[in-house]
Amino acid sequence: MTIIGLGPHGERASPPERVTLLPQDIAAARAKGLRIALVMHTLESDWSRHLVQGVVGMMGECGAIVIDVVDCNFSPEAQIAALRRLCDEKPDAIVSLPVDNTTVAQDHIAVSNAGIKLVLIDNVPTGMLPGKDYAALVSVDNYGLGKIAAELLSDHLPANASTGLLGYDADFFAVNEREIAFSQSMERNRPDVTVRTARFSSLDDAGEQTRRMLADYPDVAGLFVVWDTPCIDVIRMVSELKLTLPITTVDLGQEVTENLAKGGAVVGIAGQRPFQQGEAIAKTTITALLGRPCPDWVALPGLAVTRSNVIECYQSVWRKHAPREILVGLDVLRPG
Amino acid sequence: MKKGQSATNRSTGNGRPRSSEAATASLVDVLNLVRLGHAGTRQELERVGEYGRAIVADRLATLKDLGLVDENATGVATGGRAPRLVQFMKDRARLVSVTLDQSAVGVGLADLSGKLLSEHHEMIDISDQSATVDRICALINWLLTRQLDAPDLWGISISVPGPVLANPGTSFLLKTPDFLPNWDSSGLVETLTDRFQTLVWIHSNVETMTMGELHGGAGIGLQSMLFVKVGQRIGAGLVSDGHPYHGAAGAVGLIGQLPVTYRDSTGTLDAMAGAEMIRARGLEAAKSGGSPHLDDTLARGGDLTAIDVCQAAQMGDGACVEILMQSGRLIGGVVATLANMLNPQLIVLAGSIAQTNDILLASIRETVYGASHPLVTRDLRILRSQMSNSAALLGAASIAAEALFDPIFLKEWIGLGTPTRNPDFVQSLAALGSSSLQSGETPPPPPKISRTTT
Repeated sequence: MTIIGLGPHGERASPPERVTLLPQDIAAARAKGLRIALVMHTLESDWSRHLVQGVVGMMGECGAIVIDVVDCNFSPEAQIAALRRLCDEKPDAIVSLPVDNTTVAQDHIAVSNAGIKLVLIDNVPTGMLPGKDYAALVSVDNYGLGKIAAELLSDHLPANASTGLLGYDADFFAVNEREIAFSQSMERNRPDVTVRTARFSSLDDAGEQTRRMLADYPDVAGLFVVWDTPCIDVIRMVSELKLTLPITTVDLGQEVTENLAKGGAVVGIAGQRPFQQGEAIAKTTITALLGRPCPDWVALPGLAVTRSNVIECYQSVWRKHAPREILVGLDVLRPG
Repeated sequence: MKKGQSATNRSTGNGRPRSSEAATASLVDVLNLVRLGHAGTRQELERVGEYGRAIVADRLATLKDLGLVDENATGVATGGRAPRLVQFMKDRARLVSVTLDQSAVGVGLADLSGKLLSEHHEMIDISDQSATVDRICALINWLLTRQLDAPDLWGISISVPGPVLANPGTSFLLKTPDFLPNWDSSGLVETLTDRFQTLVWIHSNVETMTMGELHGGAGIGLQSMLFVKVGQRIGAGLVSDGHPYHGAAGAVGLIGQLPVTYRDSTGTLDAMAGAEMIRARGLEAAKSGGSPHLDDTLARGGDLTAIDVCQAAQMGDGACVEILMQSGRLIGGVVATLANMLNPQLIVLAGSIAQTNDILLASIRETVYGASHPLVTRDLRILRSQMSNSAALLGAASIAAEALFDPIFLKEWIGLGTPTRNPDFVQSLAALGSSSLQSGETPPPPPKISRTTT
């Protein structure tokens, strides 16, 4: 699949092949004895765990030591504290997923100003520039993910229906792109459908926002949730309200994947490849540390996942065979 | 509406301003001294502005009532009581900036200092004017829904891919100017003015990007800079004495029209070195087998773009490297002429073609350094922009802020508290038939968008 989105500054995407490491690059990296720190927004999602595995594994192949993996629990204060502490450790590079667009910007810029290479994941605080304030951004094509989610949901929506969009109430590049692309795709391909938007401020708030939206707009006939962790609460709320609504989301997390496989409310998932993204992040970081030209934005395409291809996608994303529940849900194995 | 018209009409016969006009003038001056950082305390306003204590106190009281300054913060004491800081309320309202390119649209939200707070970019085919205008409106609506308090919108500043021949005396636009074929009938300005009930400006993207690079990119603090944008069209912007150079009618830097020769062919720089040439020669290389990489891309996607050629060159494809080196040599020849004439401190290369590969930059550098006087190149830096299309958004926002607070225009609205109550603008809205507004009535605020929206 091609990348259809643009980067945070309007950049064209570069494929991960642009940061391929040759044997001599790996040898040069090993000779440097690099030290890397990883600052994540959360470690409580399957996506985060897979991405960290990809980064750490590839860093290991390059002889780079990962000195810390920080869970910021979506807190700007925690991220600022982590960045300040890690700067004192003087690693060669920090890989960070900024948790918002404003409050953490200065501390990310301070990382670069301290002579530490900064590689960003999925989000760039407004005003930070590639090459000056950070080495590169590595993300999936989030715009493409929103489009995939809209197309997967569209097949399940009756004519002239409304559909709910559950977005995240933070200015965050990745989810903004998904939200905009979902709405635009519906507008273009299903002009009969009205998109109702609500945004949750925290993961705990997603269920409540869903309840309010469904009370305000009883004609909502389907839902898109911008990633899988809040989607679990949304599924629960829809079930509590004794409604049957098709739902699409982003990321092949365990619970939503099982729901899809069993023929539950989830009818499609726009999948990321966090493990491959993690490897691309590590290669981009090594490329920058070796002083080689680094693309401003490295982007990976998304996957359109339905019941018909969920097993192969699961294996591709999780790098292991699908659990028994998923196989039983798809009648590949008999229960019991 | 023309600049200067109101000021001239308000003068008295003996050449001395009436006291109300003098009060407005000092109000405008005090606000701009604070806004531009020339004065940050009452004492500094008295010293820099050469105003008495009573005048400063009175003007600050008025500006505070209008929500344009505050004195809530205190500075550092230097031997007595810590002074109260006078600060410009840059969050009093918001500006929207829009950038249109041949294949992309971007929108940004900025505060009144011109600082970008949020931005989004996506691909678009601008040949469908109606769909493009609708998309811009939808994206601005989206930006405004992301604001918790839905602040007033004081202006929309648009960056477009062509020279804009607008009357330099115009404070804001009421009609879409001609910047690309037939776009004067697109209704872009009219639709945005009507829909968002706010002022609209349009400038060429070379002008906005030059401004953006000067305020937020490699050009910060420089006195002279040459900005070159390489895309389907090739244009240049100039910064001289720290300010953008506008020329007589705003048609600066149309270097894409210059004739250049490569082997036996002569054509304009746009045609011989721009994105269309790169794409066409890439297609030839793909079909002739000269570029296995492009042949593969063509087979998978069915078409090629200039960006595909740039990315293939970056990956080491020999044919694509040669295409970009040719483009770089031709552009470099023209840029060298400009450099020898203007002696800039910095040359910034931007645009999708310049930013997706390093070969073009290397080729232009080689040509400019080889063809320029040693005194010109001694301290000359040639860089690739790091800002991409953010330069256009930032520059457009800066231009809007300057237009809003231009002393002549500011005099016309400051007493009303918001530029959207400017009588000329209110009359213009009525003329557009956008609402039942009558002159003298308070216009409605920009559309408040509910948190749950379609």
